[in-house]
Parts: sequence; C-alpha cells; structure tokens
Amino acid sequence: MNLLEFARGPAMQAATLVLVVGMFWRVTGIVLLRRRVAHAAARNPFAMRLLGGAVTVFTRTIPRRTFWPRVGTGVALSYVFHVGLFIVLFGGAPHILVIHEIFGVSWADLPKGVVVLASGLTLAALLALLVRRLTQPVLRLLSTPDDYISWLVIFLPLASGILLSGETVASYGTLLAVHLFSVELLMIWLPFGKLMHVALVFAGRGVLGYNFSRKGAVT
Amino acid sequence: MQNFDFLGDDGLVDALLMEAADLMQDFISYGRAGSIDLLGLPLSASCLAALEARLGQGEVAATVSISGESQTRETAIHGLWWTRHADETGRVVALLIEVAAVPEILRADREDMARGLRRLRGLTNFRLARPAS
Amino acid sequence: MSAADATLGEMLGKSGFSRRGLLKFSIAMTASLALPPGVASAMAANLAQARRQSVIWLSFQECTGCLETLLRTSSPTIAALIFDYISLDYQEALMSAAGSAAELTLRQAVAANRGKYLLAIDGSVPVADGGVYSLTGGQANVSMLQQFAPDAAAILAIGTCAAYGGIPKAYPNPTGAVGVEDVITNKPIVNIPGCPPVPEVLSGVLVYFVSFGRLPDLDDRKRPLAYFGTTIHDQCYRRPFYDQGKFAKSFDDEGARQGWCLFELGCKGPTTHNACASLKWNDNTSFPIESGHGCLGCSEPDFWDQEGGFYTSLAGGKGPGWEDTGIAAAGGIAVGAAAAFAARHKTAKPPQGPQK
Repeated sequence: MNLLEFARGPAMQAATLVLVVGMFWRVTGIVLLRRRVAHAAARNPFAMRLLGGAVTVFTRTIPRRTFWPRVGTGVALSYVFHVGLFIVLFGGAPHILVIHEIFGVSWADLPKGVVVLASGLTLAALLALLVRRLTQPVLRLLSTPDDYISWLVIFLPLASGILLSGETVASYGTLLAVHLFSVELLMIWLPFGKLMHVALVFAGRGVLGYNFSRKGAVT
Repeated sequence: MQNFDFLGDDGLVDALLMEAADLMQDFISYGRAGSIDLLGLPLSASCLAALEARLGQGEVAATVSISGESQTRETAIHGLWWTRHADETGRVVALLIEVAAVPEILRADREDMARGLRRLRGLTNFRLARPAS
Repeated sequence: MSAADATLGEMLGKSGFSRRGLLKFSIAMTASLALPPGVASAMAANLAQARRQSVIWLSFQECTGCLETLLRTSSPTIAALIFDYISLDYQEALMSAAGSAAELTLRQAVAANRGKYLLAIDGSVPVADGGVYSLTGGQANVSMLQQFAPDAAAILAIGTCAAYGGIPKAYPNPTGAVGVEDVITNKPIVNIPGCPPVPEVLSGVLVYFVSFGRLPDLDDRKRPLAYFGTTIHDQCYRRPFYDQGKFAKSFDDEGARQGWCLFELGCKGPTTHNACASLKWNDNTSFPIESGHGCLGCSEPDFWDQEGGFYTSLAGGKGPGWEDTGIAAAGGIAVGAAAAFAARHKTAKPPQGPQK
C-alpha cells in the first residue's frame, strides 16, 4: 500500500473516528458539567430567553463600535479568513465531491477562478493573523501552544490544497497524499484544542444570550 | 496528440528559428547535420502552422513511399528541410526540421545499392563479365 | 549463410525492405522513445548489423491478454517483421511444438543463448504452497523463473501481473501471487505494466536493447521513463475541461456526452503513469477515457484493490461506515459523560481548610 492509498484509506478512517469520538466527548462533557444554580427569579419568560439566546448568536457577529479601534483589524482579518475558507470548502468542486460521497448531497460548484482567488485571500489573511499574534505584545503574552498548533493545522491543509490545485512543486499523487494527511492531522487535533470553537462558538453565544435574557439584560 | 493550444505562438516560433540557425551554423562550420523533433515539443497546431509559414517554400519537394508516406521539402532557406513521416495508417510518427545537404531519408544506402547492383546486372540481356568483388 | 546467421539488415533486405525503410522505422522509434532525433541514423546502423536477439517468453499466471495485444497488428509492417526476427525462440501459445517437444525447445534455446537471451514473462508468479497454483509441464512457475533467470541478459516483466502481481494479487490473493521483481532481485528487470500494456512500449524496449545493447532509462518502479515518465492526466485530451472545472457527473449525462473530464466518475489519470493517452491501443484507435470511461490506473501496483474502487474519485476515499461512526459517537459520549461526572464529583466535595 503506498502513501496515497494509506491516506485515502486507513488514515482517513482513523482520523474520522478520532474526530467523532473527540467531538462527542467534549460536547457531552461540557453539557453535563455542573452549573451554578441561579436563585434569582427569571426576568423573562422561557420563550423570550430562548429568543435572546438565538438573537445573541447573530448580534455577536459584529463587535460593539466602542471596541472597533482595538479589535477591528483582527475581526476583519478573521472574517476574510473564515469567509474565504467557507468559499473554498463549500464552493470548490473536489470538496463538494467528498461531501457528496459521504452524505449524498451536492450542489453546483463555483468557477475555479473564484475558488483560487478566495484561497489566496484566505492564505494571506491567515498569515497576517499569525504576524499579528506575534507582534502585538498583549496577544503574544496571551498566546499558548494551543493557538499556534491550531494555526498550523489550518495552515497545512490550506497551503497543500493550493499547491495541489496548481499541481506544482511535486507530483499529483504526492500532493494529494500530503493534503489528505494534513486534513487528517486537523481532524485529530480539532476536538482537543481551540479549534473546537467550530462546534462551540454558536452554542456559547446562545447560552450567554439566554442567561442575559434571564437576567433581563438587553443584548 | 496533446492539446497545447493555450500556449502563445510567437515566442516559440522565434526560439525554434534560433535553434535552427545554430544547427545551420554548425553545418556550415563543421559539416554536422542536425534536426529538431517537432512532435516532441509542446507546440500547438497554430504554432506549427506559423512556423511552417515563416520558413516558406523552397525548390525541392520529395515523397518517399516506404512503410507509409514520408514527405520532405526544402524550405525557403537552402539546406533547411521540413520532413513529415507517416505510417501505413496515415498517422504522423515523426515531424522534423532537418539541417543537411540532403535529408537522411532521401539518401540511397550503400547496402541497398549493392543489392540493386545485383538486380541491375540481372536486367541486362547478356551477361557482363563480373569484376572480382 | 544460414538464416540464423543473417543480420537483421540482411533479413529485411531479403523481405524486400530497403535500408531506407529501416531508417524510417528508426526515425519513428527515436521519436517514440523520446531520444534526440540525431540518434536515428545510429540506431538504423546498429539494427542493420544486429544478430538474432533471442527472446524466451514464459507465460505464468495470466489471461493471455498481454500476448494478444502484442499480436494485434493490422498489417504486416516493418515493426512486425522486426519483432518476428528478434523474438520468440519459445512461446507456448504461439509455437507449434507441444508437450515434451516444447520442453526440449526451451532447454535448447537456453543452452544456445546462455547469458544473452531476454526473458519475457507475462502473468504473475504464485508462491503460496510452493507455487502449486500455476504449473507448466508439472513445474511450478516460481521454480521456472528461478531456473531460467540467472542465464538471462535481462528480464522483461510484461503486463501488470508480471510487474506487480496484477489481478491475481487482488485481495485476498489466495495463490500468493507476486510480481517478477519480488522473486528475482539480482537481474536487470524492466517492468512494462498495463492491463494490457501498450504494444509500442514493448517494441520500443526491444529495439532499444537490440540497437544499443542495454536497457533504456527506468524510473523508480523499473518502468521505461520514455513511456512512463508522464501521467495520463498530463497527456489527456480532456485536460482543458479539467482545468475549466467541467466534469461529467454521471455516465451518459450531458457533460459526459460533451466529452468533459471524468475525474468525478473515478478517473485515476492524475496518479497513473503510462503512454496510452498518446499511443493508445489497437493502432492508435482509442483508450478508456476517449471511450468514455475513467482511467483505472491499470499500470500502477495494486490498482485492483485501490481504496473506494474504480468509481470513487481521487478526492474521496473510504471513510468508516455509519455503524462505526455511530459506535465512535457513543464512545465519545460515554467518555465525555464520565469526565463530566468526575468533574461534578470533584466540585461537589466541600472545600477543606478555613471557611471564608
């Protein structure tokens, strides 16, 4: 069995299982944690609290104006990165193909030029975010190995994917194997680091909004 | 044949003409014949046509019928030949620019001539005394 | 002079082919082998002087497709004549001798050409249970290979079965089929894979060997670089559609009828090395992609067992099934619940030490 076959076969199976185990582990673990009982009476009925939670998921997408000078650049770069990644993952033909093979659903892909442009912008934003993390003193102080590892396991699939779509630097088989291995590394790391925010960010905002609404605070 | 139509023409044509010029200089200085294998290069159909048009037509054209048809003709540049070899099914198996006094394929081979001589002698109506060979 | 002593040039002359014809053949071969065009004259001169090159062809665990493809010439061409001349002192399917007469022919051919013959093998070599799954005249193929390889000048492993084990090697490989290179490790071997291989590749290798007295340059899988240096993807006429993102989604859909790229239908062109996209089969008639089916990867090892099969694209693979995923999810929930309850238990214990 050569490297590519290993990446497409046993490695893919193992990584998927680790991802599934890890994500269910963490979500279950968080959901079942003990919570401080709120003894004060709820200021809003249950339906309103739920609505508060749902609304907060969206209102938190843009920071408050007061914070723009401080966090604006980081938020803007992050959005370029996330939107670009979304375009590449869900608009690129080979990724739609994978989703189709797993779930049986598919949709029209975006023109290759659009995806290439998006991938370039995504890579630029990701690199800029790293530079920002390394040069801003407070951010640098706060950064942990988790931050850097999470950055790396995103960077590797992105970079190898760009090389693969350009079919440059190495043979197609080698590039595909490297890309798949980097994705599998991401899958193994994701549940156990900050990347878990892919599953937790919306739940986190929702719970926050629910609690604020319970206290009667306007979000 | 692989599709190279996305490549530009002019640069490649110029490069090939320069290579042909180098081969020609080689022949003039040292008597060494040379050739360029055009099928082995990523040339689009229009590029080949442009190259052929640029080289022009010369004084000599010849057809060789052996294992299919081969055609060779001198271009407007003396000693620069455009040679096309096709097999029995008509598929082009080689396309060459040759720099030579005469393209290889037109030369009569010594062994063939030796065989031809035996036949030539047999064609006469009377027997010639054969020189000791 | 006897027929056995005649050079190739003399034999061709007697058959009515001039040296000019041999030169034309050499020009075509030079182009096919991706050699510099100036080499053609030297090749023609060498071929004219070539003495009979003995080729002993042993067929092992095979379907005879490789031999059939090599025999399918549409008209008696100079290539076929040369192939006739330089080959086949022994070949079971084609020769008229049979039984013990055939065995005698083999022994005589080996004895007469010791150290000089090319040993051509098609079919895989079963090694399980002492090689009992493929016998010729009562002798196991693996034993025959070990017997005749030492006296050969070089070995040509023709077809994917001989090169890498091929279809007999597919899971579960009950006969223990392997390629020639897994049995013989101390002889020069040329792998000419393909299921079947492209005929011109074999004639190219033979002509090169006869002309220059050595084997052509090989890649890391022992395949001639001239023919296996590029992938189908690099030579495919449908490549512009791949680059534009125009893919057929199912067989005979609109895209397929327009001749769009077959990547999504499982084409393995990008990872398969062969010359068939340009040389094709049946006198340059067609190859799978031109006939509407994706490349199977038949010139690569273990193509039959590749992950996902022929119709899963290279972008996909074989992930765990839904059952296994469900079990993994249940496992994750169990671990997460245990972790959560351990944490709850820990925070439930009253704090030790002085109260605030």
